[in-house]
Amino acid sequence: MKALLFSLCVAPLFAAPYSIVDIPFPEGVPGEVGAMDFAPDGSLFVVLRRGDVLLAAPTVKAADWEWELFATGFHNASGIDALSQEQVRVSQMAEFTEATDRDQDGRADEYRVFASGWGLSGNSQEASTITDDGEGGYYLALGAASDNEPTSEHTLGEFSRVGRQGRSFAAVKWRGCVLHCDQGGSLTPFCYGFRVADGIHRDSAGDLWASDQRGDWRAVTPLYHLQKGKFYGHPSSLVWDTRWPKEREPQDAYRSDLATYNKHRTLPAVQMPYEEMNGAAGEPCEIPKNFPHFPGQMLLPDGDGQRITRIMLEKVNGVYQGACTHFLKSKDLRSGSHRIRFSPDGQQIYLGQKKEGLQRITPKKKEMPFDILTLKILSNGFEITFSQDLARRLKKEDLSFQSFIYQPRWTFGSEPEDKQKNTISALTKTGDRSYAVSLEDFSRGRIYQLNVNRKVKSKDWVPIQNTLFYYTANEVPE
Amino acid sequence: MRTFLILFMGLSTGFGGPLTSEMIPLGTKDRPLVMRTFLPDPEMDAGVFVNHGKAEEVAKQRSTEGEKAEGESKMLKAVPAGIAVNHGPSLSYVWDTTECRMLYAWQGGFLDFYPTWSDEGKNEGLSFDGTPRLVGSLFYVAKPAERAKPKFLGYTLSKEGVPTFQFKLGAKEYTQTVEPVNRSFTFKVTTSRGERSDSTTYTGELVSRHHGFSRDLKFKKATTEAGKEVFQAYGCVACHSDDGSKGHGPSLKGLYGSTRPILEGDPVLADEAYLKESISKPNAKTAEGYPPGYMAPYKLNDMEVASLMLFLKSLAE
Repeated sequence: MKALLFSLCVAPLFAAPYSIVDIPFPEGVPGEVGAMDFAPDGSLFVVLRRGDVLLAAPTVKAADWEWELFATGFHNASGIDALSQEQVRVSQMAEFTEATDRDQDGRADEYRVFASGWGLSGNSQEASTITDDGEGGYYLALGAASDNEPTSEHTLGEFSRVGRQGRSFAAVKWRGCVLHCDQGGSLTPFCYGFRVADGIHRDSAGDLWASDQRGDWRAVTPLYHLQKGKFYGHPSSLVWDTRWPKEREPQDAYRSDLATYNKHRTLPAVQMPYEEMNGAAGEPCEIPKNFPHFPGQMLLPDGDGQRITRIMLEKVNGVYQGACTHFLKSKDLRSGSHRIRFSPDGQQIYLGQKKEGLQRITPKKKEMPFDILTLKILSNGFEITFSQDLARRLKKEDLSFQSFIYQPRWTFGSEPEDKQKNTISALTKTGDRSYAVSLEDFSRGRIYQLNVNRKVKSKDWVPIQNTLFYYTANEVPE
Repeated sequence: MRTFLILFMGLSTGFGGPLTSEMIPLGTKDRPLVMRTFLPDPEMDAGVFVNHGKAEEVAKQRSTEGEKAEGESKMLKAVPAGIAVNHGPSLSYVWDTTECRMLYAWQGGFLDFYPTWSDEGKNEGLSFDGTPRLVGSLFYVAKPAERAKPKFLGYTLSKEGVPTFQFKLGAKEYTQTVEPVNRSFTFKVTTSRGERSDSTTYTGELVSRHHGFSRDLKFKKATTEAGKEVFQAYGCVACHSDDGSKGHGPSLKGLYGSTRPILEGDPVLADEAYLKESISKPNAKTAEGYPPGYMAPYKLNDMEVASLMLFLKSLAE
C-alpha cells in the first residue's frame, strides 16, 4: 500500500505538462533545420541547411503536413524571414538574399541580393542568423570562424592578418559582430564580441538578445542583452571595430591582461552552466503573453541536450539580468534543437533541430506547472514566487544557496571559481506564494545557485518541477 | 537512392525536381541544379581572384595557453562564394559572385558532398575542410582578365530553372546565361546589356579528371554486399541503374558477360578486364549510344574493385 501511494505521488519529471510530436519532412529529406518562420498567412517556411526551402500549412495531425519546395540552392542558411507566401529573405553564408515567386507557380524564380558586404573565409562556422528590427530591417549575428577548419587562399572581402589569430577568428569583415541591416539592405556594425551566436531575438519590448556557445572566451553558455557599440567578450571581432587600434591583435592584448578585458566587456545578462543548464544555446524566444505557461519569460533551446532553458529576466539598476532553470526536459524531445517559433496563435511551440528535424510542443492543460515562477534579486538575497500555492509553508531547510564566479579566458570554457556557500539568515513569507530569502555574504558580481528540496509540493501534492536555478547577479539593487 | 531512381524513370520527385540534399546531387540537362556552396579551386591562376581578399598563413597557436606554436596554419584551395550549376552529366560550371564571371566548367558529374555533409556520423572529421569535391572532367578554367569592378545583384530562374546571373561591371549592368550544348567539352554563354546580346560557344580540352572524395572503404573480404555499398557510396547509381532502367550511362543489369557495341571499333566482351578498365580509364572505350568523355576515372582500392566485380557479376543475366 505504501509502495502504491509512493508511485502515485511521483509523477515522471516534466512528462506531464506537454505533448511532443515529430513533424516529419518528406522521405529522404535530411531534417537539418537552418531556420524557420511563419508567413503572415500562417504557413511555416523552413530553410534546410543543405539549401532547400520547404513550406507547409500546419495541420493538427503531424502526418498530414504536405510539404512543398519553395526555393532551393542556399548555402548553409541560418536565418529566414517569411514575408509572404511568395517571398522570403534568407541569410546564407555569403549574403542576405531575397527569393521571390514572380510568376506565382509556387516556386521562387528570382534570387536578389538584399544585403551583402560581410566577409567569408571559407569556414563552415561563418553562418549568420537574423531577427527583425521592427522597422522593416534586421539584426544579423555573424559567426566567427573555427581554427578546426582552414581559411581559403582567396577570401570574400578584405583579409585581416591580426583578425586571423586565435581559436575562433575574425579574419574577414564583421565576423563575430552583430550587424544592423536597414530596410534598404544597408549594413552597419551594431555591436561586437561574439564567438558563434546561433540565435538572435528581438522581444516584444524591442530589446535585443543573443546567445553564444561556450568555448574560447566563453566560460559557459551566455545570454546577452545587446546594445549599440558594446563589446560582448569574445575579442576576435574587435579588429572590425574602428575604435580598436589597427594592427593590435585582440586576443594577444587580452590574454595576459584580464583586468582591462573585464573593464571593456559587457557581462552576459544570464550565464548558464553548460552541463547542468544549457550545453549549446540556440535562439532565444520570448513566450507570448497568451501562452498559458510562463508568459513574457524567455525560452532558449539546448542544441546539445533534450531540454529547453527557461529564463526569468528583470531590470536591476537599469540593467537586465536574471535567473534560469528548465522549461522542459524530456526523452521525447530530440537533441539538437536550435530554432524556436511559437505558432501564430501563440499556443504551440515549434522546435527546429540541427540534424534531427522538427517537433511541436503543445501544453496539455492551461494550468501553470508547479515551479518557481520568478526569482528576483533583493538587496540582501532573493524573492521567490511559486506558480501555485504550496502544500505547506516553506522552511529554510527547503532551500540551499551557493555562489561562484566565472572568468572567461583564452581556454575553452571556464570552471566556476571562488565557490562559497551562502547561509540563509532569514526566510519571510511576503505573499500567498512568495518568500523573501536573506543570505549571508551576499554581493554583486556572482552567480547564485539555488537548490530546492524536491519535497516542496503544491497544494495538490505535486512535487516542484525544477530543483535547480541559477541567478546571474551582475547588479544588486541599491 | 530513391530520388535517383525516380530521376531515371523520367518521373519527378514529390517536389517536381531534383533536390540539393543528396550526397552526390545531380540535375538534368533541361532542369539544372543551382547550389551555393564552398567550392574547390582547381589550381586556378591567382590573377582570376583580383576582387577577393588574399589570405596569409599565420602561426599555429596552442589552444591550451594560446601561445604561438611551431608551424603555420594551412590554407585551402577553395572558392568561398561561388554558385555551382549542374545540367546532369552534360555540363557543370561555377559562376562566382565575387568576380561575377564563370570560373570553370566540367562534364560527366557534379560535386561529391561527402566531406561536407554528415552521413550518420560516418564521415565527420574525414577531411580538414568541408569543401565538396569535383566529379568529372574539367575542360574550362578562367584566365585573368582586365575588367571593371564587379558587383553581384542576383539571378533569375527560367521556367526550367536555368539561371541568368545579373551583375554590374563598373556602372554597366549585365546579365549572363550559360547553357549546355550537345557536344563534348562545350557550353554556350550569352551575355546581355540592355538591348545588346552576345552569344559565344566555347569548346575546351580536357584539363584534369576528378572522381569525388575517395571513400577508401575498408572491407575485410570482397563480397557482393560490399560491392553494392561501393556502388552507392561513390554515386555510380547516379548514372548507372542496377535494374535495367535507362540512365546517363548504361545500366549494369546484364552487363557482365555480355557483348557491348562501342564507338571506337568492334564490339567487346564485358569481362572483368573490360569492367576494370571502364572504372579506372572509362574513356578508353565508349559504349554506343552514350556521349564520350562523361565518366570520371575512379581510383578505388583493390578490395573496392574486387567487391564491385562481384556485385556486377550478381547482376549478370
